[in-house]
Amino acid sequence: MADPANTPLGKMLLDEITPVVMVARERLEKVITQAEEKDDSELGSDPSPIDNVHARYESANLPTWFDFFNKELVRSASFSDHEAFDHPVACLLVVSSKDEQPINQFVDLFNTNKLPSLLNDGAMDPKILKHYLLVHDSQDGTSENATKILTEMRSTFGSDCQLLCINSSQDGLVEHQDNPWVLYKSDASSGQNLGCFLNVDDINEMRDIMQDLSTKHIIPYMEQKIRVLNQQVSATRKGFKNQIKNLWWRKGKDEIADSSNGSMYTFSSIESQIRVLGDYAFMLRDYELALSNYRLISADYKLDKVWKRYAGVQEMMGLAYFLLDQSRKEAESCMENAFTTYLKIGPSGQQNATRCGLWWVEILKTRDQFSEAATVYFRICSQEPLHSAVMLEQASYCYLLSKPPMLHKYGFHLVLSGERYKKSNQIKHAIRTYKNAISVYKETTWSHIKDHVYFNIGQWYAYLGRYDLAVSHVLEVLACSHQSKTSQDIFLRHFLHIVQKTGKTFEVPKLQLPEIKISSLKVIFEDYRTYASPTAASVKESIWRSLEEELIPSLSTARPNWLELHSKLVTKKYKESNVCVAGEVVRVDIEFKNPLQISISVSSVSLICELSASSDETQSDANSQAGELQNDNKANKIASRELSDDNSFFTLSKVDFSLEGGETIMVQLKVTPRVEGILQIVGVKWNLSGVVVGFHNFGSNLMKKKNEKGRRRGNRSLNDNLKFVVIKSLPKLEGFIQPLPTTTYAGDVRHLVLELRNPSECAVKNLKLKVSHPRFLNMGSQESLDVEFPSCLEKKTEHQSVQPNPNSISQPVFTFPEDMLVKAETPLLWPLWFRAAVPGNISLYLTIYYEIEDTSSTMRYRTLRMHHNLQVLPSLDISFHVSPCPSKLEEFLVQMDVINRTSTDSFQVHQLSSVGEQWNISLLQPVDTIFPSQCLVAGQALSCFFLLKNQRKSGILEDKTSSTSAHLGSVVRLGPQGSTEPLFDTSISPLADFHHFERLHQEISHQGDSTVDFILISRPLKSDPDSGTFDSLQLFSHHSCHCRQVPIPKLRI
Amino acid sequence: MATTACFIIVSRNCIPIYEAEVGSAPKREDAAQLHQFVLHAALDIVQDLAWTTSAMFLKAIDRFNDLVVSVYVTAGPSHMFNNDISQCLPQTG
Repeated sequence: MADPANTPLGKMLLDEITPVVMVARERLEKVITQAEEKDDSELGSDPSPIDNVHARYESANLPTWFDFFNKELVRSASFSDHEAFDHPVACLLVVSSKDEQPINQFVDLFNTNKLPSLLNDGAMDPKILKHYLLVHDSQDGTSENATKILTEMRSTFGSDCQLLCINSSQDGLVEHQDNPWVLYKSDASSGQNLGCFLNVDDINEMRDIMQDLSTKHIIPYMEQKIRVLNQQVSATRKGFKNQIKNLWWRKGKDEIADSSNGSMYTFSSIESQIRVLGDYAFMLRDYELALSNYRLISADYKLDKVWKRYAGVQEMMGLAYFLLDQSRKEAESCMENAFTTYLKIGPSGQQNATRCGLWWVEILKTRDQFSEAATVYFRICSQEPLHSAVMLEQASYCYLLSKPPMLHKYGFHLVLSGERYKKSNQIKHAIRTYKNAISVYKETTWSHIKDHVYFNIGQWYAYLGRYDLAVSHVLEVLACSHQSKTSQDIFLRHFLHIVQKTGKTFEVPKLQLPEIKISSLKVIFEDYRTYASPTAASVKESIWRSLEEELIPSLSTARPNWLELHSKLVTKKYKESNVCVAGEVVRVDIEFKNPLQISISVSSVSLICELSASSDETQSDANSQAGELQNDNKANKIASRELSDDNSFFTLSKVDFSLEGGETIMVQLKVTPRVEGILQIVGVKWNLSGVVVGFHNFGSNLMKKKNEKGRRRGNRSLNDNLKFVVIKSLPKLEGFIQPLPTTTYAGDVRHLVLELRNPSECAVKNLKLKVSHPRFLNMGSQESLDVEFPSCLEKKTEHQSVQPNPNSISQPVFTFPEDMLVKAETPLLWPLWFRAAVPGNISLYLTIYYEIEDTSSTMRYRTLRMHHNLQVLPSLDISFHVSPCPSKLEEFLVQMDVINRTSTDSFQVHQLSSVGEQWNISLLQPVDTIFPSQCLVAGQALSCFFLLKNQRKSGILEDKTSSTSAHLGSVVRLGPQGSTEPLFDTSISPLADFHHFERLHQEISHQGDSTVDFILISRPLKSDPDSGTFDSLQLFSHHSCHCRQVPIPKLRI
Repeated sequence: MATTACFIIVSRNCIPIYEAEVGSAPKREDAAQLHQFVLHAALDIVQDLAWTTSAMFLKAIDRFNDLVVSVYVTAGPSHMFNNDISQCLPQTG
């Protein structure tokens, strides 16, 4: 640190505590005391620019009015009786020459009842230096009269009289470059043409007079006074004897005048004189002398317990130490001492404490002790909010300037100060401080702090009517899941209130209410793959792929027709994007989550899409030669692309819903393109509480999405997944299976109808179908569409029943008749046989392949995917046990164990058939004896014995083997005795078909000749088991295949 | 006198990991944010002090009005200032 006098504090002290200024201040006393009251409010409303664009962060941008404010605060504490700085040294009495009685006027001016109170109540020596000045305005006439008065004055008052002539410019209007007073009085208004009659001589004369006054009169006077006082002080207080005497005397005095307080020191008392001596020495920059005097008096005041004076002296000691640049510690401890002492004496010391604190802060700042300075600023804070707001803001800047910068403290103090600005209605200042604080808190995750700052700024902006800014700030606090329910409610209500006040609907990108879970994004669209139900669309692609393998013509089979061209085209041109069909829905599933505890209402949720329509020209291009087309096509496409936001090209679905606290909703959003072109799903938009429109762009979270998507649809990025090539509308099949049950018992056989519809005019042909579980579903023949079930299965005497369908057995793919076309208004109905083969939860998949008749379409074929889930409950458990008959070689004993596994239903066992011509089965005992109740209630078990004969072996059967007779066999009726119920023929479709699949399924590795298959047919009884009647519409078949004789140990004879 | 305390665990980079308000005093609406402000501001002091002392428990390092901040600094492999367990307790009596 170089020269203490060059530091801000040094300059301030030199400015404030110098004799010249003191003199000039004399007349201003009243003005200052008034200004002191006005001071704060006037400064507070000082229009400091509010920087909305960005928070200022550099130390260089500290508000400049701080200095001014501090100066005024310091000044407000002046003219106190406990210090002598502000006591006038000299008095300049000025009277105009126009005055009728100038001499009397001079006398009047120094009349005691008009003087400041300090002079009158004895705190100050009234015998001060007086200087008389007569001002003559040359515009009023010549100076002859004035000189006459001057001589008169000289005779009355002595030699301290002068004449000042002004406005001697003859023609007036002398232009001065700058206001000559601007250096000395900052608030002098420059607008008025001040001093336009003053010529250069006048100004010089004024300057000379003032210089003369200070150098020839005031300073010598002060020096003189210092000498006198110094002698007096030395005589009475210096030296050992005086000190002892003083100590002794003080003690005695202490007891006498205790209550008389500070007023006991008049100007003539030795204490006051020492103080004046110190102050004069300080003013004339003899800091050593000043310090020694302050030290002397400090002890006295302390002994006398006059705290205000003691604090004042301590304060001056601190400053003297500082200016001497001697002991830093001493300076600080003196300032600290003074500060605490001022505070101790109560409200009367508050102003002095503030002044002392400000000087102290400056001392610390000069020594780069910024954080200490900040704590001092914090201590200066008084009850008055505006005052403490400014102090806290200055404290915050100190934290910013400290090394290393204490940003946390900076932010905190800015917020504290902003809060106090708000209390004193300085909203703009409050916003300014909070905005600065944002720069600290922007990146943090301290949520309550952030919410407080943003919400308050928003509120204050709204108060000022800057609703746009208010909205943008309150937006930040909307997704405040950590806040309590009430504050969430307050935030949201304020937000909506502010938005309503703006009077327009706000469009907010990245509105956080409700939250959008991008990871839940799922795009469902139909290209050549179409889905019969939404559940079918959510099935894994690989399942469908494996199912469709045999249906879809592979690309390798070269065909010299359009299809080859098409496939090339599509793979090259649309490699990166999906294909969808005009007029068909593209669906996007996405989750919305409400992070708050209060419910919010969301309406008009829809996708944001762009559809650039391609002209017909390019479409026809695409149909022409493949070779040169690539380049042309691209160019054409770009040229003809017209971006359109209007909804004529596509229609969007809109969804309204309301989210309870913490709720998550999966929303299905749809877009239906109307024309060909390229469709891009950009994002989603919604309307919050009817006033705010929120956007979310899907593309923004591209990286996060990539992995998730990769799993589902190969290695495409999200953006590509949301881009579609829209092709010309195509026929699309719709399929239903009526009436497919969702829950059934194992063994249940049903007759179903597959219904296929094609709403478009364009026909489809070459239908093929494949079922994932042929054990469960079987295609019937067209004739069996209208048959009555189950009577169609009854054994007919004449042998003309439906033969098993060779197609369905031999081929996994069912092909519909070649000539079959499905067109508008004529649905295709086809019979289906259903049998619940095994218990459990079964997913049935059906794929229907069809070709489009119109060969000009971009897509040659499509597939319809159908999916059904059904639950199969266990019904009857059947096991067969075959053992050789002890008596005959061709005969076997069959034990059948049946257990009813259902919990409620009863079954009636109807018949048991053995499959295969060579087998003949018969009962061992009459049914009634083994099976009296005729019905198997829930949980009941049954076992009965049969005799099985191998006819071939026994040679009874004439050999007439044929393929169709493979399913023939013998039947045993198990129903009630004498029942007329017809038996069922197990050798016809569909029972024979299902049996075929059962055989395939139950196949065992070692297949001998001597296996036998059984089919047990049972029928459920109606819910009332007592009635004994069965449900005539239902039929259960249980197949047990490859039953073998239990191996018996061979006996060797 | 009813006491209240706010307990926050702060990770490196000044991210609060855990927050809890404990104590018998009736909940004030602005208590949470005031405590956060005070504790956040105290981080400056902690950052300074953590380098100068080997003690892990720093008692009453900062205060705001009647709120006192005490810090427990854990040892970290790379950063001494790894986790803070900050506690702010009002002065009793």
